[in-house]
Amino acid sequence: MISEEYRGAKQWGRDKQAVFTVVWISFLSAAIATMVFFAFFDPVELGGILDEDFDISRDAGYAIGFFFFWVLCAFCSGVTAYLVRTAPRKRDGKHRRK
Amino acid sequence: MSNTESASMYESAKKIYPREIGGRFDKLSKLATVTLLGLYYAVPWLLWDGRQAVLFDLPERKFYLLGLTLWPQDFPYLALLLIIAALSLFFFTALAGRLWCGFACPQTVWTEAFIWMEQFTEGTRSQRMKLDKAPWSLTKFRKKASKQFLWITFSMWTGFTFVGYFTPIRELGLDIPNLSVGGWTLFWGLFYGFATYGNAGYMREQVCKYMCPYARFQSAMFDKDTLIISYDEKRGEPRGSRGRSVDRKEAGLGDCIDCQLCVQVCPTGIDIREGLQYECIACAACIDACDSIMDKMDYPRGLVRYTTEHNLHSEKTRVLRPRMFVYGTLLVILCAALVTSMSMRKPVILDVIRDRNTLYRELRNDLIENIYTIKIINQSDDARGFALSVSGVQGITLDGVEDELLVDGGGVLSLPVRVRAHRENAYGVNEIEFTVEATDDASLVIGEDSRFLGPSP
Repeated sequence: MISEEYRGAKQWGRDKQAVFTVVWISFLSAAIATMVFFAFFDPVELGGILDEDFDISRDAGYAIGFFFFWVLCAFCSGVTAYLVRTAPRKRDGKHRRK
Repeated sequence: MSNTESASMYESAKKIYPREIGGRFDKLSKLATVTLLGLYYAVPWLLWDGRQAVLFDLPERKFYLLGLTLWPQDFPYLALLLIIAALSLFFFTALAGRLWCGFACPQTVWTEAFIWMEQFTEGTRSQRMKLDKAPWSLTKFRKKASKQFLWITFSMWTGFTFVGYFTPIRELGLDIPNLSVGGWTLFWGLFYGFATYGNAGYMREQVCKYMCPYARFQSAMFDKDTLIISYDEKRGEPRGSRGRSVDRKEAGLGDCIDCQLCVQVCPTGIDIREGLQYECIACAACIDACDSIMDKMDYPRGLVRYTTEHNLHSEKTRVLRPRMFVYGTLLVILCAALVTSMSMRKPVILDVIRDRNTLYRELRNDLIENIYTIKIINQSDDARGFALSVSGVQGITLDGVEDELLVDGGGVLSLPVRVRAHRENAYGVNEIEFTVEATDDASLVIGEDSRFLGPSP
């Protein structure tokens, strides 16, 4: 028997797993999305399209874009995770969760 | 950022105190950590031709990579490079398992560095465990405070270096004592620094276990010929403690003395003797631990070792197998594509945008006029002259364009252009081509297709 002291790794709670995974994976996705998006669009030019007097620095544009993508991705995968975890179970017994 | 807060965030997971162990693989992993971190912290300081050698200059939208300057238009190269990186990861995973996880992943590497600082301030594994259990005292506070000091300083330096890849690091270094760092630069530096602090200081193996997608799907690249770290059950069982002088055959014991050392050194807190587990990041600490015990017991090394599933079942390991050929061939093709396209890359880009407001204008003398915006991007470092021409319709001419257009090094010339052709030659939609030619190098020619619209016949 391994004493409990050595068995460090207990499970994270399911909620914590879900929250951290959603935050992290949406972070990675947002990083990729930001990279691709701003390779094709210059925030300064985008600002000009929205409103001629709308001045935005590139730094701010990139940051806003990144956080926009992060929130969007987190929303998407968060809702997905929530729906998957709270879905009604099948009742035919065959696919019942253990 | 306080210690107590973070501790309470992770209370459901028991803290793991990885035990330090010397040995072959420990040396290798230290070497990998020092090399990779050394590169990370040193590279932004390197110079090439008087400017930062590696700089992803986001404010200027230009990437400098040694002698190369990449523009947003070069994005396909970056995409190709990322695909190659991903495929190499697949290739090496199929061949040698989770080498990436154990030795090269930033999560592992920074965690290793943070554990060194922890050991330096708080001592060995058992000292750390005792310290955490002990009530608060001056000594405990001093040790914890010095650990936090090291961690936070190191994190801030990490964040600073990270931003240094995106804004010139030397100027940034001067900005800090003057307190004139830009708002966003400061924000990203702190953001990355804090992420390092949290990931390497506190979350550690939880990132690999719960948050890393690669850790989950790497098993899809595994087969029975993949190099894994495994306990030799046939040789080790039945396990049990015994004195050095005991004849294990007589006592009916296997080679495993059940000393638990392999469990204590494991950074993810698993027992390798329970077989291959997805928590295993293949850091090989358990190999070092077990080898040291085998040496002490005068047993042969390798009760826990790098092996393959085939090998464990006394079958032959095949390195050359279809999977390797598929990954390998794809890799070679993509690398060749990257090299070829990079070498064929021309240091000038031509962009043609047709004026969307008017289809065409009818002028006197039966001439039809279309308007375009031409962008010439000079990607070389020096100013250059270009000649613009147009073809595709008989008698088509450019109006009011100078013979030589001068574009600064790394500059963009945006030019409205009127193109004219005779009505008879330009009914309907005509395909035309704009061409720029460098005036100092006739071989540097680049074309861009567009359309010339005329009235219906």
